[in-house]
Amino acid sequence: MPNYMLLLHNDPTDWKKMSPEEMQKAIQKFIAWRQKLDSQRVLVGSAKLRDDGGKVIRGKDHMRVTDGPYSETREVLGGYFTISAANYAAAVEQCRDCPGLEYGGTIELREVEPVPGA
Amino acid sequence: MTNAAAALVDHLFRNRAGQMVAYLTRLLGPQYLDLAEEAVQEALSKALQIWPYSGVPAHPSGWLFRVARNAALDAVRHGMLVDQKTASLAASEVARMASSADLPGEVEFEEQLRDDELRMLLMCCHPALPRGARVALSLKTIGGFSTREIARAFLSEESAIAQKLVRAKRQIRSECIAFELPKGDELTLRLDSALEAIYLIFNEGYAAQTGENLTRQELCGEALRLATLLAASSVATPEVHALVALMAFQAARLPVRVDSQGELVLLEDQDRNAWDARLVAVGFHHFALCAEGPQLSTYHLQAAIAAAHAGARSAAETDWRMILELYTQLLQQCPSPVVALNRIVAVAKVNGTEQALSELNALASEDSLRNYYLLPAVEGSLLLEAGNHPAAAESFHRALQLRCSEPEKRFLERKLAQCTDSLPIAHLESRYQDPLLGL
Repeated sequence: MPNYMLLLHNDPTDWKKMSPEEMQKAIQKFIAWRQKLDSQRVLVGSAKLRDDGGKVIRGKDHMRVTDGPYSETREVLGGYFTISAANYAAAVEQCRDCPGLEYGGTIELREVEPVPGA
Repeated sequence: MTNAAAALVDHLFRNRAGQMVAYLTRLLGPQYLDLAEEAVQEALSKALQIWPYSGVPAHPSGWLFRVARNAALDAVRHGMLVDQKTASLAASEVARMASSADLPGEVEFEEQLRDDELRMLLMCCHPALPRGARVALSLKTIGGFSTREIARAFLSEESAIAQKLVRAKRQIRSECIAFELPKGDELTLRLDSALEAIYLIFNEGYAAQTGENLTRQELCGEALRLATLLAASSVATPEVHALVALMAFQAARLPVRVDSQGELVLLEDQDRNAWDARLVAVGFHHFALCAEGPQLSTYHLQAAIAAAHAGARSAAETDWRMILELYTQLLQQCPSPVVALNRIVAVAKVNGTEQALSELNALASEDSLRNYYLLPAVEGSLLLEAGNHPAAAESFHRALQLRCSEPEKRFLERKLAQCTDSLPIAHLESRYQDPLLGL
């Protein structure tokens, strides 16, 4: 089965306004969702990307490093999950109950290109 | 990794938030309460951002404390403390703690945290602070409630609560209210003030009669937690135990006070087997402890009334004579028309409706009861019992014109309908207890 990357975008300032109880509930929803993926043995990996200090690098001979990439956008790429799924339709189904959506975030779903012969 | 999720016990964030704020406030000083709160908020929101991807760490509380400590240390290093003298003092304190092995879960540290919470509660309940501020500050700093949650629970504006908190913190700074464990008379004053705030929190939650507002119900749990914290501490008095007992008995009935349709179920009709047996036991435990000493506070009397109900195996076995005696004493100590109205319910049980109605007439001129729906409601049920259906209907009509909650309104409408039926009417007295007295 191919792998799919779920790139979770959200606005971190929204999350900072939540109360401790609301934060715990949100975490518990994520944990329940992870457990669902785990129990189906489809969770391949996940990582949080730091919200601050990101850089964008351009150019070879005159390499330019700028802060970002989020300085101009409100939503940042918060982190990713990699799951295995039969096809895009099945991967979309797994996103349906991802708590990120409930909290106003968006998910960019991309299939990882399988390497022939690997 | 996934098994560790079980380590997130209910309200862990809320309860640990309060402890972490208290802990950091001890180290930084009460004038930097804001900074402590910010550091804690940062730790919690980091957890929210990281744990979904990493899973819950093996020691979630330790993780939170470490991150909050580092956030406080960062703030101190970046010169967030205005006053240089306290800044250097706080810096050394925080630096010491950053290297210390204070780990949540370890007996000694947990004891220290309980002591911090206790000092925090007594600081937030300083009698110099206005009553509303004490309630809001206690819920915010020790309870771990957000400003929005407090506003929702007290049906108030978020901005109004925020302003109350800002003013209270300013007052703590300007009057140098200390993070301390007072002694002697000062301790008595603080405890009185803390018990008052805790009971206000409880009643606000208890008055929420439907499941539609969960935050309000959680106030009861928080009030019990705070009172239990006091009861388990070195400053516990019989009065503290009396309040714990009173609230535990009342909270035990919360699960059955509203039925699955959202209708009020009154004490007399409640399934006593469905009361929370653990809370009833907690109630009797603290009720026994509150008897150790010569004091007979209003909490003692109210707890005794609640115990009389909790101890009755059925509504019919209720010892109304004792309850009437307790209400008479309570009325002497606390001469309020609301207490008097509750007492009349017991009068009806012991001495009959006629006497109850004549005592009720004497109360009817009380200004403070003019808009209180329970006055005509009690009158209506007494008249109904006396067989005077037209007069009863008139009373229920009047009750319905006054402010009451939706379930209360539907209840009054059912009573009104009974006035036109000629069905035998069940005894109603115990149904009209005021939530303040929690019966």
